[in-house]
Amino acid sequence: MVVATPKRIKQIKFGLISPKEYRKMSVTRVITADTYDDDGFPIDMGLMDTKLGVIDPGLRCKTCGGRAGECPGHFGHIELVAPVIHVGFAKLLRKILRAICRECGALLLDPKKKEEYIEQIRILRKMGQSAEDVVSEVFKEARKSGTCQYCGEAQQDIKFEKPSAYIEVDEVDGIKYEHKLMPTDIRTRLEKMSDVDAEVIGMDPNNARPEWMILTVLPVPPVTMRPSITLESGQRSEDDLTHKLVDIIRINQRFQENREAGAPQLIIEDLWELLQYHVTTFIDNAVSGVPPARHRSGRPLKTLSQRLKGKEGRFRGSLSGKRVNFSARTVISPDPNLRIFEVGVPEAIAKELTITMNVTPRNIEEAREYTRRGPENHPGANYVIRADGRRVKVTEINGEELAELVEIGWKVERQLKDGDIVLFNRQPSLHRMSIMAHEIKVLPHKTFRLNPAVCPPYNADFDGDEMNMHVPQNEEARAEAKILMHVKNNILSPRFGGPIIGGIHDHISGLFLLTNSKDKINKNDALELLAKMEIRELPEPVGKENGAPYWTSKQIFSQILPGGLDIEFKAEICEKCDQCKGVDCEHDAYVVIKDGVLEQGTIDEKAVGAFKGIIIDKLTKEFTPDIACKFIDDATRLSIRGIMRKGFSFGIDDEYIPDEAQSQINEVLESASDKVEKLIAAYKAGELEQLPGRTIDETLEMEIMKELSKARDSTGEIAGRHLGMENSAVIMARSGARGSMLNLTQMAACVGQQAVRGERIQRGYAGRTLPHFDKGDLGASAHGFVKSSYKNGLSPTEYFFHAIGGREGLVDTAVRTSQSGYLQRRLVNAMQDLEVQYDGTVRDTRNMIIQFKYGEDGIDPMNSDFSKPEAAKRIIDSVMGKVKE
Amino acid sequence: MIDRSVLSKSYFTSDKIVRHHVDSFNSFLDIGLQKVIDEQRIVETDIEGTHIRLGKIRLGHPVVREADGAVDKLYPTEARLRNITYAAPLHLGMTIVSSEGEKDEKEAEIGLLPIMKGSKVCNLVDLTDKEMIELGEDPQDPGGYFIVNGTERVITTLEDLAPNKIMVEFEERYGDKIEVAKVFSQRRGYRALVVVERSRKSLLEVSFPSISGRINFVTLMRALGIETDEDIVNSVSEDPEIIKFMLENLEEAEVSNKDEAMEKIGIRVASGQGKEYQVKRANYVIDRYLMPHLGNDEAHRMVKAQFLGRMAQACFELALGKRAPADKDHYASKRLKLAGDLMEDLFRVSFNRLTRDIKYQLERASMRNRDLNVSTVVRADVLTERLVHPLATGNWVGGRTGVSQLLDRTDYIASLSHLRRVISPLSRSQPHFEARDLHPTQWGRVCPSETPEGPNCGLVKNFAQLVEISTSAGSKTQIKNMVYEMGVKPIVPQLVGMEEKITTYVTELEALEEAQEMKIEHEEDEDVGVEVDIFE
Repeated sequence: MVVATPKRIKQIKFGLISPKEYRKMSVTRVITADTYDDDGFPIDMGLMDTKLGVIDPGLRCKTCGGRAGECPGHFGHIELVAPVIHVGFAKLLRKILRAICRECGALLLDPKKKEEYIEQIRILRKMGQSAEDVVSEVFKEARKSGTCQYCGEAQQDIKFEKPSAYIEVDEVDGIKYEHKLMPTDIRTRLEKMSDVDAEVIGMDPNNARPEWMILTVLPVPPVTMRPSITLESGQRSEDDLTHKLVDIIRINQRFQENREAGAPQLIIEDLWELLQYHVTTFIDNAVSGVPPARHRSGRPLKTLSQRLKGKEGRFRGSLSGKRVNFSARTVISPDPNLRIFEVGVPEAIAKELTITMNVTPRNIEEAREYTRRGPENHPGANYVIRADGRRVKVTEINGEELAELVEIGWKVERQLKDGDIVLFNRQPSLHRMSIMAHEIKVLPHKTFRLNPAVCPPYNADFDGDEMNMHVPQNEEARAEAKILMHVKNNILSPRFGGPIIGGIHDHISGLFLLTNSKDKINKNDALELLAKMEIRELPEPVGKENGAPYWTSKQIFSQILPGGLDIEFKAEICEKCDQCKGVDCEHDAYVVIKDGVLEQGTIDEKAVGAFKGIIIDKLTKEFTPDIACKFIDDATRLSIRGIMRKGFSFGIDDEYIPDEAQSQINEVLESASDKVEKLIAAYKAGELEQLPGRTIDETLEMEIMKELSKARDSTGEIAGRHLGMENSAVIMARSGARGSMLNLTQMAACVGQQAVRGERIQRGYAGRTLPHFDKGDLGASAHGFVKSSYKNGLSPTEYFFHAIGGREGLVDTAVRTSQSGYLQRRLVNAMQDLEVQYDGTVRDTRNMIIQFKYGEDGIDPMNSDFSKPEAAKRIIDSVMGKVKE
Repeated sequence: MIDRSVLSKSYFTSDKIVRHHVDSFNSFLDIGLQKVIDEQRIVETDIEGTHIRLGKIRLGHPVVREADGAVDKLYPTEARLRNITYAAPLHLGMTIVSSEGEKDEKEAEIGLLPIMKGSKVCNLVDLTDKEMIELGEDPQDPGGYFIVNGTERVITTLEDLAPNKIMVEFEERYGDKIEVAKVFSQRRGYRALVVVERSRKSLLEVSFPSISGRINFVTLMRALGIETDEDIVNSVSEDPEIIKFMLENLEEAEVSNKDEAMEKIGIRVASGQGKEYQVKRANYVIDRYLMPHLGNDEAHRMVKAQFLGRMAQACFELALGKRAPADKDHYASKRLKLAGDLMEDLFRVSFNRLTRDIKYQLERASMRNRDLNVSTVVRADVLTERLVHPLATGNWVGGRTGVSQLLDRTDYIASLSHLRRVISPLSRSQPHFEARDLHPTQWGRVCPSETPEGPNCGLVKNFAQLVEISTSAGSKTQIKNMVYEMGVKPIVPQLVGMEEKITTYVTELEALEEAQEMKIEHEEDEDVGVEVDIFE
C-alpha cells in the first residue's frame, strides 16, 4: 500500500491553461465517440479508454496501473477541428476585442499610458488589492480610440450577441455592414497582442495569454469523475458529462469530414455553431440565451458548472458541508441526577460507537477482555485490527479465540463506556457552547439524557429536541476536547462574562422555597434533603424542639457551599427600596455568605440562575471550575428535593382575586375607557395637543396606547395586592424562575392591548376593524383592547383580536429564525479565519492586522465579570479585605 | 341568554365538513365538463372538409376494468386495497363531418375521470350506514377526496388574489414614490397583469404582457379608439383636480389619432419589422393581451378603454389622497379555487391534448384509407393518463405543484382539518408579514387559531366552522336587473346620443359579472361584493 504523505499547500496559482499544457497533461487523444465494444470493454481512444482511469473492478489503469479506487484518473483531450469560444470568458473577450486593434492586435493606448497603468496595477497587487478598477478604466480608455496609433487601421464597432457571437459593424456612407467574427479571427487578433499589452489589461502573460480563452483543445475529464452506472437490466447508463462529450466528438468529426469534402461555407458555419453550442453547454448548461442541452427524458443535463454551483454544488455541498462517522443522534430527555458534565447514552448507541485502542503492554489485558466480551456484552469490542492492517469483525463465536490472538501492535475497536469523552451538540450551533465535551454514562432506554442545568448553553428543551454526539477518535482529539471543550470549562459565557450554566425553573423555585422559609427542619428531613450530596456530617443543630434537634433551611443550603466563600449581594426578590437597609432587609433579600455559610438572605435566580448566578460566577472565577461544577450539581439536586418537600403547583384557583378587587379593576378599566373617549372627543374637536414630530393622528394613537397600558398596569397592581408570596405564580415570577408579573396580570386582571407591529389593530373592513363596531369608532375595544382576564374569559371580539396579536408573534418567530441563521452565516464566513496571535493582535490569513488588540481593548469578556467595571472592585475588595485581617 | 345550542345542533345535522369540495366538484360535473367541450366545439383536421363535431358528454359511475375485460362497479375501499384509481368513464357524442356529408353521432369513451368520494356519481351516494359498513366503508368518513392508484388525495383549496379587480398601491421607482393601479386580468386559464402608473411628473404609463417596458396612457387610449382630448378626459374623471392632471398628460401626448397610436405601439411590439406588420401586430396584441377578461376582439376595445380610464382615475385618487391603497389581504380581494375549478383547468388542458391526438389519429387513418370511425380514433388512455398523473403527483397544469396532497390520516381530526385546508400561493421563503397576519375580514371565514408554526405560518389556513362558499354568481341578466333596481343609473351623461358607445357599457357590465364568479359570498357588507363605485 502506498502511504500518501500529506503535503502543505504553499501557494495556489490561478491562470488559463494553454493548449500546449492541455496536450501535456493529456494521456490520450480521444477520437471516437463510442465508449465500449461489443464485449463491454472500453475502446482505445474512446471516451472510456482505460488510460483515462478505471471504474470497473478488475481492470487496471493503463497509465498508472492502479485498480478501481486506487487510480485517481487522468485527463485526455479532444483536438477541436475549429476553435470555439469558452463561454466563461465571453464577456471579457468582448471587452478585449473592443480595446485592441483589429489589424495589429495592439492595445489602443499610448505607450506612456500603458506604462503608467502597469505601474498602478503592480502597486495595487503588491498591496494585496484588486486591480479591477484600473483595468476597467483601461478598457474604457482604449475603446475611445477610432484609429490605431500603431498601424493606422480604422477601428470598427463590435456588437456582442449573447452568448458568444461577435459582430463587427462597418459603416460606409451611413450604411452599416455587419460581419460576423469567427473564433479563428478572434484568436488571430489575440495572438497578435503583445505581452506588455496583456499586462496592461491585468493579465499575466506567462500564466494567461488572452488567446487561451479560445479553445482549440478540449480537455476530457477522467472517467473517475464521470462514472457510468450499470442498471439492474445490465444496461449501462452514462454520466451526463460523457453524453455531452459524445456530442462534441460527433460534431467535431462531422465538421472535419465536411470541411475535407469541401462543403459549402453555409454548412461549415452551421456545424461550427453547433460545435460551439455543445462546448458551451458542456461547460455551462444554464447560459442565458442558450437552450439547455437535455437528456432523452427531457431532463436538462448537469454539466461542469452545474456540478460546482449552488447549495448542492461541490463548494457548498461537498467541501463546506461534510458528513461524518462516529456520531449519533437521538431525542434528549432530562435527568437531574446526572452531573452537569455527563451525558446519558443509550446502550444501543454505546454498543455501536467505538474508540480505537492501540494495544500496548499496559493495556493488553484490558484489550483482550473487551475482545472476549464480543459485540453483544456491553463494554465489548466490535472489530480488531491486526498488525498488518486487516480488520476482523468480532462476533459472539470468535470472541474468545480472537482475544487470545490479540497482541501488542494490534488495534481493538472497543465500545463506549462510562467516562469516555464525547462531543455533544445541538443545532443551530450559534456559539461555542453549542458543542461541548461531556463524559459518557451508559444508561438504558433510547434517549440522550442530560442535566437540565446545561439546557441554556444549548438552548435545548425536552419537547422533542434532538441532539448529536460525536466520538473523538484519537488521544490528541480527546485531550483537546477535555481541556478546551469540557462543560466545566464552559460554565462562563464569553458573551457576558457570567455563568451560562446554572439553575433554571424549578431549581430556582426550589431553592427559594427552601431558603426563604423559617422552617425548622428535623433530622430526618435534613438527611433526606442532603441525601444525594456527598455530605457525611450535619452541622450543629440550632436548637431543639420537643426534644428533637432541628436545623434551619439556610444551614442546609450552606452544606453545599465550599468553605472560604465570602459574598454579599442583593437577591432577585429585592424590592429596590429607595433606602436599602442592607443586612436588615425585611424581605430577606440581602444575601450574606461568610466562609461558606449562608447567614441570611434568600437564594434565587440572582444566586444560582443561569446567566445571573453570582455564587456560580464567583466559584468559577475565584475557586475552580470543578468546585463550581460540584456546586451546580449539588444545588440542583438539593433544590429538587427542596421543592418536593413542599410541593409546588398552580391551578386556576391561584388566579382568583376577591370581588372587591375585581370591581376596583373594573373601575380602573371604566375610567381608562372614559379617558380614551375624552381623548377622541378632543381629537375630533381639534383640541388635542400635537406631540412634536408626530401627526395629530399619531399623537392620538400614542396617547390612547399610553392610557390603556397605564390602565393595564394599575389593574395588575390591584391584582398583585391580592396575590401574595403564597401564590406559586408569584413565587416563580419574583424569584426569577419563570414568568413575570405581567403574565400574572394577564391571567388574573386584564389581558391588555393587542398590537400588530407596535400599533393598535387598524386593518379590517372599511372604516372599522370588525362589523361589530361602528364605522370610525376609535375606542379601546374596537381596536384590540382586551378588558377581560384569561381567567374570566375573553369576549368573541376580544378573542379574535387576541388571535391577531398572537399570530404576529408566531410569524415573527418563524421568520426570525431563518433570518438570524443567514445573518450568522454571513458573519461566520466573514470572520472565520481571523485569529488572535501571541502578540495580542488579531490577524487574517495573510497576516494582515485587523485589530491591534483583541476587541480594541484586549479584554477577555469571559473573565470580565458581567462586562461591568466591577472586576476592579472585586480585586480591590479582596485585597482590602485581606489587609483588614 | 338565548339557547344557541339549538342553532348549532341544527347546523351540524347536515354534513357540512366537506360540502365545499363536494359542491364544487358536483358543479364541475354538471356544468364544467360540458362547458369545456362546448368551448372546443369541433376538432379540425388537415383533411379537406373533414372535422368532428363534439356533442354531449356523459359520465358514468366509478368502475374497474379487470384484465379479462370484465367491468365491475368499484367501491372506494376496493380501490384503496387494490391500488387502483376510483374513476368513472366519460362518454362523448361525436359526429364526423366530411365532404361526403355527416355520419350519425356516435358515443365513444374518451377516458376515465377520477371521482371525488361523496360526489353525486360516487357509488356510495344514498347508501345507508349499514350498507357502507358492508362495503368496508366508514360511514363517518367525510369523503371529499380522490383515490388515485390506491392513495387518497385531497385537492387543497387555493387562495388567490381576486382577478379583474383594480388595486391601487404605492411603489418605489428609483427612490421616488409613485402610485400604481394594477389589475390581474383573467380569462379562463390565462392571466395578464395590467399596470397603470403615475410617474413623478403625473405622466400616466401602462404596462401589460407582450410589451416590454411601459407605454404612454394617452397613446394607448387613442389606439383603443378614444381619440379626442375631451373623451379621454371624460373617461378618466370629472374631478377638476384630476382633469388638471389629465391635461398635463394630453400636453405630453406623443400621438394625435388612432393610426399614429397604432404605429407607435407597433414599434414597441415588433421593432425592426416592416411597418405593415407592426400595425398588424399592434392590433393583435391590443386585442389579445390587453385585459383579456374584457374580451378579445375589436368590439371590446371601448370597454377596455373605459376600464383603463377607471384605473387612471384610481391612480390619481390615490395620489390626491382621496382613496386609500388597496388592502390586498382583505378577504374581499381573495378568491378560492376549489377542487371543481382546479379539475376544470386540468380537464380543459387534458381534453385539448386528446383532441390533438384525435386529429392525429384521424389523419393517419385517412392516409391509410381506412374507414373513419369515432371509436377507433379516440384513444381513451391519453385523457386518463393526463387526468390521473397530476392528481397522483400534485403537479398541476400551469406548473403549480403540491395541488393535490396525500390525505393526512394521522387521526380522524387530522383528516377533517386537511380537507378544510386553504393554501396561499405566496412564497414561504419571503417574510410577507402582512399576508401572514390574521385579518379581521377572516372572521367567520377562516379559523383564527389553526395555522402551522414555522415557515408556512399564516399562509396555510383552515376554514372556520361556519364558512359558506358560493360557487357562482347566477345569471347575468339577474344581476343586471338587480343592479338597476338598486338605483344604478345607466352611465356617463357625456356620452348621451352616442348609441354605439352605450352598448359598450353593457359589455363592460357583463365583464364585471364574470369577475363576480367564484367569490366568497359575503354578508351585506357595503365594502365587499360588487364594486358599486364603478356605476356612480
